[in-house]
Amino acid sequence: MSMLRLDQIIMAAIIAAMMVVPMMSASEESLNLVSLILIWGLFAVGFDLIFGMAGMLSFGHAAMFGTGGYALALLAPQFGFLPALLVAALAGAMLAFLLSVFALRVSGLFFSLLTLALAQLIYILASTKLRAFTGGLDGIPGVPRPVMFGVDFYNNRNFFYFLIAVFVIGVAIMAVLRVSPFGNALKAVQANDVRAEQIGYNVQRLRQCAFMISGAYAGVSGALLASLMFYVSPQMLHWSTSGDVLIMTLLGGKGTLLGPVLGVAVFEVLKEELSQFTQHWYGILGIVFILCTIFLPNGIAGLFAVLGRIGKGASK
Amino acid sequence: MSTIVIGLSLSFLLFLLAAGLTLIFGMLGVINFAHGALYMLGAYVCYQIVHWTGSFWIGLAFAPIVVAALGAAMEVTTLRPVYSRDHIYQLLLTFGFILVIEESVRLIWGLDYKQVPTPALFSQPIAMLGSQIPSYRLFIIGFGALVSALLFLLLDRSRLGMVIRAASSDSEMAQTLGINVSRVRTAVFALGSGLAALGGVVAAPLVPIELGMGFSVIIDCFVVVIIGGLGNIKGAILAALLLGMARAAGFTYAPEWVELITFVLLIVTLMTRPSGLFSRKGRSA
Repeated sequence: MSMLRLDQIIMAAIIAAMMVVPMMSASEESLNLVSLILIWGLFAVGFDLIFGMAGMLSFGHAAMFGTGGYALALLAPQFGFLPALLVAALAGAMLAFLLSVFALRVSGLFFSLLTLALAQLIYILASTKLRAFTGGLDGIPGVPRPVMFGVDFYNNRNFFYFLIAVFVIGVAIMAVLRVSPFGNALKAVQANDVRAEQIGYNVQRLRQCAFMISGAYAGVSGALLASLMFYVSPQMLHWSTSGDVLIMTLLGGKGTLLGPVLGVAVFEVLKEELSQFTQHWYGILGIVFILCTIFLPNGIAGLFAVLGRIGKGASK
Repeated sequence: MSTIVIGLSLSFLLFLLAAGLTLIFGMLGVINFAHGALYMLGAYVCYQIVHWTGSFWIGLAFAPIVVAALGAAMEVTTLRPVYSRDHIYQLLLTFGFILVIEESVRLIWGLDYKQVPTPALFSQPIAMLGSQIPSYRLFIIGFGALVSALLFLLLDRSRLGMVIRAASSDSEMAQTLGINVSRVRTAVFALGSGLAALGGVVAAPLVPIELGMGFSVIIDCFVVVIIGGLGNIKGAILAALLLGMARAAGFTYAPEWVELITFVLLIVTLMTRPSGLFSRKGRSA
């Protein structure tokens, strides 16, 4: 329990720091960096609902992420930004539902493979067959940002505050979900799906719900990324996007509310720093990832837990 | 006719890859995400050997050995410590391999497309039943059949095969009977990596060698392995034939839709028989 509180304190500190950074420094780069962390953080928080809570390793989250981006790019010019963002969330959830119809027929590692294959199918469709809508490999430039309440969010700073608002709402909803009966049921499913089934949980339905919620998070964050960059392309649907969010989540600590956000921050900062003096930063990241998988399976959040235990001494 | 030859050659290529993948899964319980990367690495190492020696055959002989050795090293250093954990961690590790292998390839060979020329012996097409058949395709079929036969002999008839089968069906029991299971695991991972590289070498004269080649092939491989039933080598060969022929037919009759054939096959299989079309009872994972 104390672990949870430590986590939350750290998280609150991080968010506070993020709010302060753009106020303190006028640099566009750090603003951009923190905006990216907020967006990917939301993505990772949603991803962890199925990865950390339900124990399902999806390699297909790029599909929902990219679809959210496309939904916003196509709809926002006609229907306004907020409705389009809502549709992006729905599109993510609907696509997750569609994928789950196939992918949830199998479990464990098969699920990973199937989500990967199905997401790749979406990627191929978007870059070739659906060119009329998606602009093919060229993508869609000029994705809009909101202009509302008399605030112009084309200003990077204003948009950054908009991102913080969405992020905080998203994390708050997730915090409630995780401690709700639904969250507990997911934990039961991860711990022992057979037993959960016997107790009377509808395991498939639970998994499906979690996958859809996670898909909605992916859709929203994809839409926000498209809006931040004014651009959406099939690259967002590419499997490496699924890989990135997985690395981030694991790096930060799966199964915790705030760990994934930490992972995103470390990932983005590492990328920013490493790419300054080597173009091969992705390989270094791979080595860091391998080392983390072996020695730090619970990520940075797990490290805090260890420190906490040391701090408490031999009392436990 | 040429459709059949192309289909068969594609099938055997897929089988070489899928065999390694399914072998590793059967023994280690690991789905090797890096299989495609090892395939790519095999092609690059072959290119390098051809570049140095001018002979494709030396590449064919040595590139798989180099990659197999690398596979063994990877297994010992990274996978061995995490077998006792959940399977997800092993999957994650192999995902990490992809990043490192791809970056190393980019570092060593750069981003340009590489080309391995078709060996002189098979550079001329052969006239067969009224159509021109590229003879290298025939070589792939013959070579693939040979390797498959050797693989079956190795697994079904040899002592090593018996040890592998024993260790994969019950590793603790095998350990108790005095089999060094961790050494068998390393051997199997090396063998699987070698097979992936062999696939890469054989494919090298047919395709441009580039970083993305591994990933486009790995999905097909996963599909073959799932359709055949994970860990089931005999199922894999039938599934490879099915997919290879379907793709070749697709190239001839509906080239627009060929990329989707793979996924349709996958989805139909999972909707009808989730444990694989050719699985026997009790072997589903």
